[in-house]
Amino acid sequence: MRGPSPSAVRSDLEEVFRRDYRMVVGAAARVLGSRAEAEDVAQEVFLSFGRTQVPAEQARGWLSVAAAHTALNVLRAGRRRAAQETAAGGPDDVVADVADAVLTREERSRVRDALGRLPRKQAVALVLRHSGLSYGELAAALDMSPGSIGTTVRRAESALREELDRHAPSR
Amino acid sequence: MRHPAEGVLRRLLDEPSGVAVVDRRHVADCPQCLDELVTIRQDADVVGAALACDRGEDADVAAGWRRLSAATTGPAGPAPRRAAPRPARRSSGLLRRPAAAACAVAVVLTGAGAAAANDWLPIFGTQQVAPVGITATDLVALPDLSAYGELRLLAEPGIHDVAGAAAAAAETGLDVPEVADLPRGISGDPVLQVGGRTSATFTFSAARAARAAARAGGALPSPPPGLDGTSVRLDAGPGVVQRWTSDAGAPALVVGRAVAPTAFSSGVPFDAVRDYLLSLPGLPDELAEQLRTLSADGSTLPLPVPAEEVTTTSADVGGAPATVVATRDGTLAAVVWVEDGTVTVVAGSVDDSEALSVARGLR
Repeated sequence: MRGPSPSAVRSDLEEVFRRDYRMVVGAAARVLGSRAEAEDVAQEVFLSFGRTQVPAEQARGWLSVAAAHTALNVLRAGRRRAAQETAAGGPDDVVADVADAVLTREERSRVRDALGRLPRKQAVALVLRHSGLSYGELAAALDMSPGSIGTTVRRAESALREELDRHAPSR
Repeated sequence: MRHPAEGVLRRLLDEPSGVAVVDRRHVADCPQCLDELVTIRQDADVVGAALACDRGEDADVAAGWRRLSAATTGPAGPAPRRAAPRPARRSSGLLRRPAAAACAVAVVLTGAGAAAANDWLPIFGTQQVAPVGITATDLVALPDLSAYGELRLLAEPGIHDVAGAAAAAAETGLDVPEVADLPRGISGDPVLQVGGRTSATFTFSAARAARAAARAGGALPSPPPGLDGTSVRLDAGPGVVQRWTSDAGAPALVVGRAVAPTAFSSGVPFDAVRDYLLSLPGLPDELAEQLRTLSADGSTLPLPVPAEEVTTTSADVGGAPATVVATRDGTLAAVVWVEDGTVTVVAGSVDDSEALSVARGLR
């Protein structure tokens, strides 16, 4: 059993939080495209983490996977606050210039819809790979063989690319 | 020979060092695999742009902690709103954050010259160590290939300090070389820096090249069929540099290791692209000769040294053929070798025998 009671918060929570909070926010934001929602997810992830006994040296991998899973849960449950996607230029509009230049907001929304439809393992591997985790880190975090990470990421990218092409507006 | 699986090709884009040498060499010479690699790369680039977002680097940690503290120290402690995922079973190392970059002239120019191994030289430049007298300024003296097509830097190395060899290894995936015996006059612990993968593409444009040739007063050689529009993807890194200062405080020794550069063409075989680039007007003969040593799989290393200032000799380091470069005044020397897709450099204010001794003593 992990976390026998809500008040039994692990003693190293603050240390891990300060070290990895931004990483968790970043991974969640990659799924959700919204800083505010990503910070909500990060709170949830660290609350969960605080009640686990995951060894500190495994925390980063655990938190990465937790961030991706939790953010994908938000996507799939349809709990996104549409207002945050439509508030052009508002504080929640945190998508970087690169994406702004390439994709319209509608396209980004479509990408994330497609992300939510991917097999869970593919989606998590894709998000974490594009968040900067190495293949070795992914293999450890997802309990997969390193050799299968490339295949999983590749299939996810191919599926997303097809989704983008299928719905690409004529320009 | 069987073709590597698509998952292997995908990893080749991100972590060439994680792909077996035999597979890298196969891909470099296999038009079918190169075609597939281009498709995979395009998909990865598009998806990467689609998923690009704020990476949380400026998230307010203090505010986040206050919020979490309020939740964890409240009367009952709020239950998580959503189920937590299952935990990872093994440890995870440091994150890397490859980033699209705006500009890095020296890197781009070296990359465009298909000499991305020189990614090391800007690193040396940041260390204010100038083995064999080459600086970033020397590199930008290479012909600016943007005149012959489109240059695009896809990822910059993001060079930064790390606390020690373990951290460097975790970030780069490389075996960080350990120096057995430091040369006389050098002591203490090194400062370590790491850099992530550097990637650039050069897309050849016959029209732009023709204009450049006209400006140079020369005629553009007839491009091989299919070259126009062909892209060359150049990757180098990640890498790690260890730097020691002399007892007097001056930069004294650098030991660097990186994934050797690779160059993949999207159309015309890379060798043809390289040879054509070498034939362009304005390319100095000596550099052309050095660029000819490039291969698509990083198995050879270009070393554009100013021949009038240095001597180069061959040596053996642990069974690998190495190049030893020393200034004629004996003040600087470097040993460079490539083995299994990894390039290692030992350089500094030492003589060639000392550099070789350090190189051969690396653990």
